[in-house]
Amino acid sequence: MTELTGKERVARQLKHQPVDRIAVMEQFWSHTISHWVEQGVFPAGESPEDHFHLDIAMNWSFNLKINPDMQDRLVAEDEDTKTFLDGNGATMRRYKGHDTTPEHLGYSINTCEDWKEKAKPFLTPERKRIAFESYRREKRHCEEKGRFFCWAGVNVFESIHPICGHENFLMAMALDPDWVRDMVDTYADLWIHLMEILIAEEGKPDGIWFFEDMGFKGRPFMSPEMYRELIQPAHSRTIAFAHSLGLPVLMHSCGFVEPLLPGMVEAGIDCLQAMEVKAGMDLLRIYQNFGDRIALMGGLDVRPITKNDRPGILRELESKVPIVMKKNGFLLHSDHSIPESTDYDSYRYFLENGLRIGTYPS
Amino acid sequence: MTDFEALRTAIIKGKRNDVTAIVQAALEEKEDINRLLDEGMIPAMREIGDKFSRNEAYVPELLIAARAMQTGLALLEPLIAASGRKSIGKIAIGTVKGDLHDIGKNLVAIMLKGAGYDVIDLGVNCDTAKYDSAVKQGADIVACSSLLTTTMPYMREVVEHFKGTHVKVIIGGAPVTQAFADEIGADGYSEDANGAVKLVDSLYHRAS
Repeated sequence: MTELTGKERVARQLKHQPVDRIAVMEQFWSHTISHWVEQGVFPAGESPEDHFHLDIAMNWSFNLKINPDMQDRLVAEDEDTKTFLDGNGATMRRYKGHDTTPEHLGYSINTCEDWKEKAKPFLTPERKRIAFESYRREKRHCEEKGRFFCWAGVNVFESIHPICGHENFLMAMALDPDWVRDMVDTYADLWIHLMEILIAEEGKPDGIWFFEDMGFKGRPFMSPEMYRELIQPAHSRTIAFAHSLGLPVLMHSCGFVEPLLPGMVEAGIDCLQAMEVKAGMDLLRIYQNFGDRIALMGGLDVRPITKNDRPGILRELESKVPIVMKKNGFLLHSDHSIPESTDYDSYRYFLENGLRIGTYPS
Repeated sequence: MTDFEALRTAIIKGKRNDVTAIVQAALEEKEDINRLLDEGMIPAMREIGDKFSRNEAYVPELLIAARAMQTGLALLEPLIAASGRKSIGKIAIGTVKGDLHDIGKNLVAIMLKGAGYDVIDLGVNCDTAKYDSAVKQGADIVACSSLLTTTMPYMREVVEHFKGTHVKVIIGGAPVTQAFADEIGADGYSEDANGAVKLVDSLYHRAS
């Protein structure tokens, strides 16, 4: 087969159609790239997509915060951390030295009444929530490079916990499902309306990439029944909207979400991404059970890459990629992101060997 | 006469108003506080923990049960000290230095409290000095959590720090494995929150 563009390759793989080689995508903690820049092995200002010739790029185009005008406001600082108040009214602490999920210290939305008064009335589809220019620029760049361009952002689960906290949200799922349904419907409506505005003005992306972390080590946050009752309706609706525009949907989830996967497939996802090995996700088992119905991206243990363990990297690639590429629906990616302890050459080794193994015979 | 079955059910179902009513009625009837704890509340939390381990309950059910338990404990707390009830063990728990994640750590703390242990929750970003401060308050088990491969190595420092003392160090978290616990010489590892309770039980030589 002649060499495909990234856009052609990914589009075909999401439909399980034959390709020249598996597509590749990767995410890096921001300090990983800056660390490599400092070491002089990565050109300053260049994107990882351009540098490593990745097949997918994404653009975070929506601001779904309750107050989209509010920038994170510094409220405290110590030697190691900075604490901010954000546009959701949440107080969160971040490390200065490395990039990771922030610690959430407090929320302004703690009850259904708070939600109705301080959040829901403000979650309206205003133009100021959309980063038109950034979307336009990335879309154009992807077209020039022949890359698959994804609108990227959060779906409902990842929209709601930042306003009220995981624990409060999860308790509400058990105690006040009507409140949860209201939040879920509100965010699904908001997303659909914003997407209508964006596409009317700027045109369609090639795909939709939802971040939706619904699991942790060894289990999902909620039961499959609770997922189907409270979250799946919004997933089905947003995904159906994307499909009505001809757009495939890739969904990222951290943690162990295999028990939710039948429901996510019913909701219509075209590709599952990340599949964290350390959380218990097993790429080969998922491929066996779902590989006919959805494409899979990731599931390759990042720990050997992080430890710069070349035999371990090769073992991980050789034991999985030849199997999961058989139905044309596997895309190369680590099982989450590349952390800053990773040597540039180790990532290169993973990438080059992954693509060598993932090349189909001509 | 206290309906212990109703108390257990109310906690397992997360019905804190029912818990309040049952505990208040029991106190008015001068029910033995130890019976309320040992025959009603603590077994209920252990049962929800076991359901969690069997994937019959998930985080939402665990959280509402713990909240109901806390509601009952708040009514009992002023009387517990006066009753002369002895602590069955004191555990310090915290996410290790460099790591700000706390969901897993909070679940373990909830389950340990529910099992009747005294828990000193040190929060996140804990260095050895922070763990030391809890040991000075009587903790004899230090439970360390980590979500990140980059912060996990700090657990080795904690283990080294307490080596040769009476303090036992147990570890858990997304990237942590039994093999890593063995490698650094930790006194125990648990895969999940309910397993952490059973691990602490075993370190205190209590039957689960």
